[in-house]
Parts: sequence; structure tokens; C-alpha cells
Amino acid sequence: MAIFSLLVTANPYSQQGQFSALKFVQTAVEMGHQIKRVFFYADGVLVASRLNCPPSDEINLTKAWAKLAIQKDIELAVCVTAALKRGIVNQAEADRNALTGENLDPAFEITGLGQLTEAMLESERLITFG
Amino acid sequence: MKSISFIFNKAPYGLQNSRELLDICLMSSAFEMPISVIFKEQGILQLLKNQQPEVLAMKNHSKTFQALELYGVEKVMICEESFKELNLNKADLLDIGTYANKETINQVIAHSHFVQML
Repeated sequence: MAIFSLLVTANPYSQQGQFSALKFVQTAVEMGHQIKRVFFYADGVLVASRLNCPPSDEINLTKAWAKLAIQKDIELAVCVTAALKRGIVNQAEADRNALTGENLDPAFEITGLGQLTEAMLESERLITFG
Repeated sequence: MKSISFIFNKAPYGLQNSRELLDICLMSSAFEMPISVIFKEQGILQLLKNQQPEVLAMKNHSKTFQALELYGVEKVMICEESFKELNLNKADLLDIGTYANKETINQVIAHSHFVQML
């Protein structure tokens, strides 16, 4: 059994990469592999907003990731620099930057870029979904 | 020790991919592992001197490539074939790497534990 980490840079509702990443994690876990961390970077961070509100007959990727993270205990890490640029903030960052609100889904965690390299070094494979 | 290769294959400033990849590269250098940086295809344009992204209200990351050595990145390779296709002069590019053919570059990639490209 292998240990994987994922780097997700795909824009959630413009590119397919997010859904592919989601299916990869689901399948890998079902097959008994371990997911060290899923790291969201570049436009990929946009999925971490709990204000994403697609039509009810389309998949809500934020909720799909959150459900998977809770069910399978998967760590969802979001790059702080990429997130702040794109308006993805938790309460601490909102306070620090004097923003009027926060919108980070609680299943995601805002972290630094070092968490990507750290995850990679503890994994056998890093797979990018762009 | 695990090794990593970063492949820059896109032109600068129209897209932010390469700047974001460079950030990962610099961050990874803090983990003291062997890092190879490869410029191929349009990525070679990252090394063109006298870029003025300030005109487009963009941060100039070209200079950061010159700091790779300071960050402990030992191997910087530029694809010879791509360089020829782009019809550039070596004097037009930042002098930060060695020119290598595709075969050599492919071997470096094949021997890396991890490869990143954005």
C-alpha cells in the first residue's frame, strides 16, 4: 500500500481537475492506500469557500471534499498566500487583514506552502491535478 | 535523500503558473534536498533579460531565478533544442544554467523522486 499526497491547482468550476482529484482520493482510500495530505494551491484554493453555491442539480465540490475529509479523515490544506489573494479567509486572517468576513469551510485548513513539500517528503507519490 | 525536479515550460507574466512554481521551488530548497530546475519549451522565455512586468502591474519574478544558486539549487538546466527553436541568443538570457539536450534532461527527470510542473 502506498502513501499519496495531492497538489490541486484546478479551478473548481472551470476545470475538471478538482473532480478527478476527489475521485482519486476516494478510490485510493477504498483500495487501502493512505492519503497524507491534499494541498490546494493557485486557483485550486477557490474550492475552500463555503459560500460556493452551484445550482442544486450540479455537484457542490466544497461539500464533496468536506464530506470525504470527515468520513475518511483526510487533511485538506490550503495555501495561505494563494487563498488570501483570492478572497478565501478564515477568522484569524480576516481579523489580521481587517476584512469584513470569513468564508473558509471548516473542513479545510489554511497553512503555508511548506506543508506541501513536507507532505511530499512523507509520501511515495505526489500527484498534481491542474 | 529524496530529490525533486521543477520543470518551467510556460512563458512568463501571461500566466502566473511559473511564479507559483518558483515559490514552491524556493520553499523546497529549505528542506535541503537535491533540486533540479529545468527550463524547456516556452519556459526558456522566463530567463529573458530586461523584462518589464511592472508595466502590467506585476511583480518581477525574473530576478528571483538569479537567486536559485543562493538558495542551494545546484542543477539548473536549459533545453538546447527548445532554445534553438525559439531563435534566441545566449546573451539575451540570464546566465544561471547549463545547456543540455533533451536526452540528458529526460534522464534527470527520470531519476528524480518527484517532479513538479504547473
